[in-house]
Amino acid sequence: MKFKDYYETLGLQRTATQDEVKQAYRKLARKYHPDVSKLEDAEAHFKEVGEAYEVLKDPEKRAAYDRMGQNWKAGQDFQPPPNWDEGFEFSGAGPWGPADSGVGEGMFGADPSDFFEALFGQHARQSRARRRATQTRGEDHHAKILIDLEDAYKGARRSISLRIPRVDEQGHVTTHERTLDVTIPKGIREGQHLRLTGQGEVGGKDGQPGDLYLEIGVKPHPLFRVDGADVYLDLPVAPWEAALGDTVNVPTPDGSVQLNIPAGSVAGRKLRLKGKGIPGKVPGKIAGDLYVVLNIALPPAHTEAAKEAYRAMAEGFNFNPRSSLEGVSS
Amino acid sequence: MSTNIPSSLQGLIVEEEILLSLSELCQACRAREELITAWVMEGVLEPEGARPQEWRFAGHSLRRARLALRLTRDLEVNTAGIAVALDLMDEIATLKAQLRRLSVHTKY
Repeated sequence: MKFKDYYETLGLQRTATQDEVKQAYRKLARKYHPDVSKLEDAEAHFKEVGEAYEVLKDPEKRAAYDRMGQNWKAGQDFQPPPNWDEGFEFSGAGPWGPADSGVGEGMFGADPSDFFEALFGQHARQSRARRRATQTRGEDHHAKILIDLEDAYKGARRSISLRIPRVDEQGHVTTHERTLDVTIPKGIREGQHLRLTGQGEVGGKDGQPGDLYLEIGVKPHPLFRVDGADVYLDLPVAPWEAALGDTVNVPTPDGSVQLNIPAGSVAGRKLRLKGKGIPGKVPGKIAGDLYVVLNIALPPAHTEAAKEAYRAMAEGFNFNPRSSLEGVSS
Repeated sequence: MSTNIPSSLQGLIVEEEILLSLSELCQACRAREELITAWVMEGVLEPEGARPQEWRFAGHSLRRARLALRLTRDLEVNTAGIAVALDLMDEIATLKAQLRRLSVHTKY
């Protein structure tokens, strides 16, 4: 285990006041919060910052950490000395402790760093154990799963693995893998939630189990883009197909369909296949549409015959592609 | 897949098939009733029904309430600030969706 310098994490001197600790945290939290940050490793950064703040904002934890920590440097191999916290009383519950602060499930789920767990874990375990003893209904759990676009079209049965934190009688948190066989309903969309009744945390004595909420993400598809219930496909067409019109085969997530390309189509033209987007699950709910966006593909002029065909086109058309630029002073 | 397993779990789509009561929303977010109530007063959440016992929250309130909770807990944003932040985040999401649709038009 490596020693963590919580002051360094927040960019503070050891002499910082409690107000300075708070200010430093708020500034970094705004920068790295996963809901507002666009930085790539925002979540990992935010976790570090949150853990440092959890210790330094609490005068008792900070004092204990200060007494132990002054001879250590970040990254050094570390074991907490025996009775390092002797004489200190921690009253705060900790970010992984009970949610009786009224603000949610704890900052990082059940995943504190080894360093934090070694120092403050015992206390958090005690509060968790106390809570277990009094709680009846199990807590609701949340997880995120990724499905294929085809699953949203047709519905599917998927075997999914979840890492579930479990709190034992002593309040220790362990994660175990749980496999569930879940029906993905036809018509579900990106960002929606599926509620599985009774699949959350096991209840305490005589208590009901909680529910499990699965947030649905749709895997990026190589052909289709999804926007709510609508789906977009870029369709390459030959210049003569666009100019003269034709009927072509178009793939959809639910099998291919025949699409009529109107004569005189230009690049970027959007053709709507009504109701061929993500279907509705609830009866009467309107299905999304599939938009086919035309992309005019030019055949390469690799052979003499192809070059001849292009030359014939040049002769056959009195066509100036830059006519719209004329009259504009250059 | 697992077609040899006889039964598979059937869920309900929260956003389309469920209205949540105040206590269900509190359970799902692990939030106190007072906090959810404060957000209703601020217009962050808009349940149907006149009194808290009668409130029914549309399914999309779940995502909203969980986001509000994270901002409250991690950034210490107050109730009025939550209302502003969520409005702005909604607006950004709308603009991004428009941008996606537009870039489809102008790609070629």
